Amino acid sequence: MEIEIDRVARRFGPLRALDGVSATIRSGEHVALIGPNGAGKSTLLRVVLGLLRPDTGSVRLDGRCPLRERVAVMRQLAYVPQIAPQLAASVDEVVAAICALRGLQPDAIARTARGFDLELDPIADRPVRALSGGMRQKLLVSIALASRPRLLVLDEPTASLDVASRRAFFEQLERLPDRPTVLLCSHRFEEIRHIVDRVLALEGGRVVYDGDAAAYLRRYAQVVLEVRVREDAEVCAWLRTHGFRPQAAGWWTRPLEAGERVSLIAELTQRHRDALLDLTLHEVESIDPAQAMQPHSDSRPSGPRQHPQATGSLVGKDGP
Amino acid sequence: MNRSAIRAVARLEIAEVMRSRALAFSIAAYLTLAAIFLLVGMRESSILGFTGMGRVLMSFTHALLLVLPLVGLAATGQLLPSVRADGALELWFSQPLGRTSWFTAVSLVRLGALLVPLLVLMPALALYGRLAFGQPIPWAFLARSLAVAGVTLWCSVALGLLVSVHSRSRARALMGLLAVWALGVALLDFGLIGLMLQMRLPPALAFTLAGINPIEAARLALLSAADPELSVLGPVGFFLANRLGTHWLLVLGLGWPLVLGALAWCTALFRFQRGDLT
Repeated sequence: MEIEIDRVARRFGPLRALDGVSATIRSGEHVALIGPNGAGKSTLLRVVLGLLRPDTGSVRLDGRCPLRERVAVMRQLAYVPQIAPQLAASVDEVVAAICALRGLQPDAIARTARGFDLELDPIADRPVRALSGGMRQKLLVSIALASRPRLLVLDEPTASLDVASRRAFFEQLERLPDRPTVLLCSHRFEEIRHIVDRVLALEGGRVVYDGDAAAYLRRYAQVVLEVRVREDAEVCAWLRTHGFRPQAAGWWTRPLEAGERVSLIAELTQRHRDALLDLTLHEVESIDPAQAMQPHSDSRPSGPRQHPQATGSLVGKDGP
Repeated sequence: MNRSAIRAVARLEIAEVMRSRALAFSIAAYLTLAAIFLLVGMRESSILGFTGMGRVLMSFTHALLLVLPLVGLAATGQLLPSVRADGALELWFSQPLGRTSWFTAVSLVRLGALLVPLLVLMPALALYGRLAFGQPIPWAFLARSLAVAGVTLWCSVALGLLVSVHSRSRARALMGLLAVWALGVALLDFGLIGLMLQMRLPPALAFTLAGINPIEAARLALLSAADPELSVLGPVGFFLANRLGTHWLLVLGLGWPLVLGALAWCTALFRFQRGDLT
C-alpha cells in the first residue's frame, strides 16, 4: 500500500505538532519514524491512521482518504499500539469482535500467537486487562500479523516483548506474504535494524532526514554496556574509573566504542565475576539527551544530530 | 452504518458493561428503591389517589426520576474520555469500523444495560404484589411507568454522550454531567417556584425553564394519570394539564424527552464523526 503524505500540519493549541510534513512511502517499503519526544511521530502516525484530522494537508493510502473511506482503508491496514488497552472484555470476546470486523478466523490468530509462545485457549476467558503487559502485546501483534495487512503501522511494537518474542516478531514479519508496507515508530535501534530500510527523522514537527536506514544506523547507533552489580565499594570504584555511570537498582551504564568492547567486558567479568549480577549490550541513538530536548529552531540539526548527507537527504528550508 | 459491525461492537460492549461497576451500582439502586417502596407502599393509605401496587409503582417511578438521569449520565458521560485514555478507541478505530457504527452500538448497549433491569424489575414488582398481596396488576400504569422510565433514560444517555464528546478529560466530563443533572433537578417546578419567589424571576421564564426540563416533562407524564390538582402536578403541570388535558400532557411528557434525547444524540454523533479519535 502506498502512503502519500502531503504538507500535513497539525496544531494542539499553541503547540505545532506537525508543520508541513510531506513524504511518499512506496508499496512494500519499510519506513521508521524517529525523533525525540514531541517531534510529531505519534501525531503523524495517527493522522495516517485517520484517528486525527490534519489542520491542512492530506494523507492518501493507495489514493484513498483514511478519514472519508475509513472502513475500506482499515480492512487493509493493521496497527499495533505501543501500550495495549486494558479492556474488561475477555480474550475470546476481543478476538471474536476483531474477527467479525475483519472477516478473520480465530484459528489464524491462535496460530500466529503460538509463534510468540502464547496459547490463547487457556486464557480465553481471562479479561484482557488481567493479562501481563507482554501477553497483551503478543495478542495485539498476533492479531495484526494474522490480518495479513497491506500496511502495518507499528508504534514501538516490541517494547513489552521479551527477547525470544522480539525475535519471533521479526521472523514472522519477514514471512508475511506480499511484503506489506511497514510504518514503524520507534526509539529502538534493534527494531529499526531488523525491520526498516528507510528512516524519516522528525524534529519540531518537520522532516529533518529522509533516507537510507543503514546509513542512519552507521552514523547514530551507539552500543551501551549495562551491568548490574552487588553493592561493593571496590567494584563501584572500578566502574567509575572505567567510565560507567550509576543508574537505579544497582545498574551501571557506559557507551562503548567499537574497538574496546571485548577487552572491557573481559576485564569486568574476570575481575568482578562474584559481584556481577547481570550484563546486557544494546543499541541506542547517539544523541545527547539535553540537545534532543532543545526546541527546534533550525531544520538542519547540528553536532551529533547532524544527519548524514551522503546517503540521505536533509529536508527543510535550508536543506539541499 | 454496518449491521454486522454494530453487532460485533455491541457484543464486546455488553461484555465490558457486564463487568463494570456502573451496572452493578444502578441495579443495586433500582433494587433498593423497589424494596423501600414495596415495604412502605403496601399499607392501606393512598398516595395521589393511587392505592396498593399502583401506589408502589407510582412512588417507585417518581423516585426513579431523580435516580435515572444520574445513572444515565454516569453511564455515558465519561465514556469517550475513558476509552481515549486507555487506548481502546485507538484500537477499535484501527479496525474496519465506521464511527457511526461504533457510536450506535455503544449507545444502544449503554441504554439497554440500564433499561433492561427495569423492564424486568417493574413487571416483577407488579407480579409480586399479585402473588403476595392479591393486588390486581395495574397494566396501564405499569406501561406508563415503563414508558416514563424509558424516555428518561434515553434522554439522559443521549445528554451524557453529548457531554462525553465535548470532554477531553474524565474530570471535565464528571463536572459536565453533574451540572446537567443538578440543572435537571433544580428546574423541577416545585424547586423552581421557590427559586422564582426568592430571586423574583418572571413567572413566564420559570414556567418555560420547567417546561423544557425533560425530567419535569417525564414527571408530568407519570402524574398525568393522577387527579389534575395543583398540589399534585405543581404549577407548570397544573397549568399545562388545564390547557392541554391529561392526554396531551402524557404525549408531551413522553414526547419532549424523546425529542430532546434524539437531538442530543444526533448532535453528539455529528461531533464524534468530525472530531479526533485520540
